[in-house]
Amino acid sequence: MSAEIILEVKNLVKHYPLTSRGIFLKKEVGVVHAVDNVSFSVRKGETFGLVGESGCGKTSTARAILYLDPPTSGEIYFEGQEIGRIFKSKNHQDLLKLRRKMQYVFQNPYASLDPRMTVADIIMEPFVIHKHVPKEKWHNRLYELLELVGLEEYHAERYPHEFSGGQRQRICIARALAVEPKLLIADEPVASLDVSVRAQILNLLQELQQKFGITYLYISHDLSTVRHICHRVAVMYLGKFVEIAETSELFNSPLHPYTQALLSAIPVPDPENKRSRIVLPGEVPSPINPPKGCRFHPRCIYAKKHNCVENVPELVDVGKGHWVACNKVKR
Amino acid sequence: MKAGRKIGTADVMKEKLLETPDKRRTDGVSQWSIAWRRFKKNKAALAGLIIVGAIIFIALFSPIIARYPLNYLASFKEENKIRVPPSSKYWFGTDYIGRDVFSQIVYGAGNVLYVGFGAAAIAMILSITIGITSGYLGGLVDNILMRVTEIFLVIPFLLILLVFLRVAMTIAPSGVGGLTTVTLMIGLFSWAPNARIIRGEVLRVKQNEYIEAAVALGASKWRIMFRHVLPNVLHVIIVLTTLQIATAILVEAGVSFLGFGDPNSVTWGQQLQMASEAVKEAWWEGIFPGLFITLLVLGFNLLGNGLRDALDPRLRE
Amino acid sequence: MAPREILKIENLTTYFYTWAGVVKAVDGISLDVREGETLGLVGESGSGKSVTALSILRIVPMPGRIIGGKIIYKGENLLEKTEDEMQQIRGKEIAYISQDPATSLNPVFSIADQLTEVIRRHQNVTKEEALKKAIELFRLVEIADPEIKIWNYPHQLSGGMKQRIAIARALSCQPNLLLADEPTTNLDVTIQAQILELMKNLKKLGMSMILITHDMGVVAGVADRINVMYAGRVCEVASTKTIFRNPVHPYSRALLEAVSHVTVKRVQPKIIPGAIPNLISPPSGCRFHPRCDFAAAECAAVVPQLVEIEPEHYVACIRAKEFMENVKEVKL
Repeated sequence: MSAEIILEVKNLVKHYPLTSRGIFLKKEVGVVHAVDNVSFSVRKGETFGLVGESGCGKTSTARAILYLDPPTSGEIYFEGQEIGRIFKSKNHQDLLKLRRKMQYVFQNPYASLDPRMTVADIIMEPFVIHKHVPKEKWHNRLYELLELVGLEEYHAERYPHEFSGGQRQRICIARALAVEPKLLIADEPVASLDVSVRAQILNLLQELQQKFGITYLYISHDLSTVRHICHRVAVMYLGKFVEIAETSELFNSPLHPYTQALLSAIPVPDPENKRSRIVLPGEVPSPINPPKGCRFHPRCIYAKKHNCVENVPELVDVGKGHWVACNKVKR
Repeated sequence: MKAGRKIGTADVMKEKLLETPDKRRTDGVSQWSIAWRRFKKNKAALAGLIIVGAIIFIALFSPIIARYPLNYLASFKEENKIRVPPSSKYWFGTDYIGRDVFSQIVYGAGNVLYVGFGAAAIAMILSITIGITSGYLGGLVDNILMRVTEIFLVIPFLLILLVFLRVAMTIAPSGVGGLTTVTLMIGLFSWAPNARIIRGEVLRVKQNEYIEAAVALGASKWRIMFRHVLPNVLHVIIVLTTLQIATAILVEAGVSFLGFGDPNSVTWGQQLQMASEAVKEAWWEGIFPGLFITLLVLGFNLLGNGLRDALDPRLRE
Repeated sequence: MAPREILKIENLTTYFYTWAGVVKAVDGISLDVREGETLGLVGESGSGKSVTALSILRIVPMPGRIIGGKIIYKGENLLEKTEDEMQQIRGKEIAYISQDPATSLNPVFSIADQLTEVIRRHQNVTKEEALKKAIELFRLVEIADPEIKIWNYPHQLSGGMKQRIAIARALSCQPNLLLADEPTTNLDVTIQAQILELMKNLKKLGMSMILITHDMGVVAGVADRINVMYAGRVCEVASTKTIFRNPVHPYSRALLEAVSHVTVKRVQPKIIPGAIPNLISPPSGCRFHPRCDFAAAECAAVVPQLVEIEPEHYVACIRAKEFMENVKEVKL
């Protein structure tokens, strides 16, 4: 694995304003702190996992990176280029070039394919937009892509509603691959699929990574699939990173109390399992008024001892590329 | 990459993908063909289609179907042929100056449809343009367009229409373009509700991830609006158009009945107006044009409702 | 002595008559729930597990119809009851918890209103007594500050809280049988852990339960016996321990092996090829045969019946005997 960095995110902040409607103008009545000051870097060719429960800001992070929802502040570097500048300059050619390098696979394959287009139209749309494939080779390339994701030629003229969830996700992957991207952001790509189909899609993603060296940013709430596919994992809680580590390191010796609880909360498919489960009290607080200090402190058993109500923990390196943001953990 | 994770293509290739029994079929079944399959099963909708089809047929072949020439006066050759009750010679009787009511209805069909289709076309072009740009672009454009739409929504449409028609008639008593003026007026004043509905539908479609996928691919705004948004709101547009035609026909009939129509063209509304003077003595003079208006409007409504049921994506499966 | 059965389903068949064809959602399934036990109904989407639950309550939505079989509850066939009699059974005898707690609560009434209404419909009590009972129920499902929380409206509550309230409402009339349809699927892992803990505690109340889920991890901790379903039919029935340690049906085995798991060292989860079949024209014979690694020629022709291959272990597979002889324990 090369240590070359393909994507670097620095102090990313994404706030969504809560507005009330006036006649012409909107009034801001509050702010949802979706992502608060997040920094990380993704190495070329690796799968970087972003894990957390619903509302923790993992999807907002991904959308900000792709400028689907421009970030409130912070910088995003892709291959050393600050991409915010490209988006703000409105230079159409530069923008297209950037779009070709980063692609997105959505969570819900039922909503992410245009129901009025055939599979061929869907997969060839990138060719129309980017013109990177000569027109006479469009169909060859289409069949190559279909084969690559495990579909047949005769599927090309069909419509999305004729496919199962797993096959639709394959179509989405083929569309993303059509521009030959360097980074693929996969937002819960298997969450809406059946258990028996999940492994197919995950293996397909792994196989494609081996073939083309694509870097993945893999977003999920499901730690099982994360363990299976990711090289490094970051755990998010209420808009902040609480822990980043190599996958095996994170699963074998989680340091943050939230990561520990998250890992133990997963039901084990073993009736005789006697592993004690840490059941967290309460629920994730609202991101409109996140708790002061450590955002996890209202649910944490160590909070009193370390005065986490006031001390905001910073991400610190504890060795072996393992970073934790917890007052309990000291270097 | 860990060595243990190595997997061959064979695993993926081995997969048998969802095999429908008609595996050999190569062409896809589009949602339009599914909609047509469903539409065929809807008896009321088919009845609507037949009614509308029949009246279009009458309009197209009116000189052949009509039994007498246009405005032919039966009383011209024979005595006492004014307001004759229905008979084998005059199926729907004759009117106040002795014209065959049936033949006049046949000749009127074309004019009625002209107003219906014409006004609906104008209204729909306006509402589609405004609805889609407003819904997709949002922001300031949306704000301005929607305020304009609201102004059109609060105008008492029929009254303004009557005033305009009266003004037009005073300026040029022979009628400026006749029916075309009526058509234009109806079209220009009835787009607002549809624009709102289309905008709402665009807002719904815009939420879909396939729109975001197109953005992430680098597709331009126009491409997204015409390649992705428009086809996905087309079903709503089709339904609204059929209903808009029905409304325009009703409005024209109403305007003509009130005496604001084009006096030089035969329309069913006008026939009704003339008949209203002698409802008791000559019921046939009014009942038949009235029946045809009802039938045509009913036909378009049945058609529209049938299309709505067949095309509604929420009723899929 | 055989344990007493509270519910016995024989050959239940529920079809959906759609414009595209007849969807054979539940096609001749038989199962039984014993007194005080929790039966896990495991299967993927389209396996017919939810439709089975809806059929028991006779609330299959249009265009679905129960077209055959028997549902015997406490010795009486529910399919022969009148609608009025069914209303007495729903809620009071058999309660239901749906997957989506958000839509099962009416947004315009407070929780107190909705809970006391259910209590007063089936029990002859005053408003004050009903409210008292409701607060007790809140304590039972471990909601903090029940006296305050009960006056909240649904939109003020989180998903986990709503699911607790849905459970409280289901328990309000002390039903004998609880149907829980994917009660934790829409919840976050940490909240799921809370609800599963609660459901384990509820088992102490002694009622029977059918727990419907697609997640093997969820049933492992809660269910006593497991019923594995695939494409509208039952594949395998056995005690939870047997299903996890000694699964015989290839589908049960594949389902267990397909799960990649945090606690499991296995690196490569098994791939089940293909997709779930279309239930309008399902595969002939055994419905799993097109995806099965062990399918023989007859599998496409013969519909396998549930056979007891060892005490309390039923399998619907024509090669079950063979598999039994050289069964290898699934290592977890």
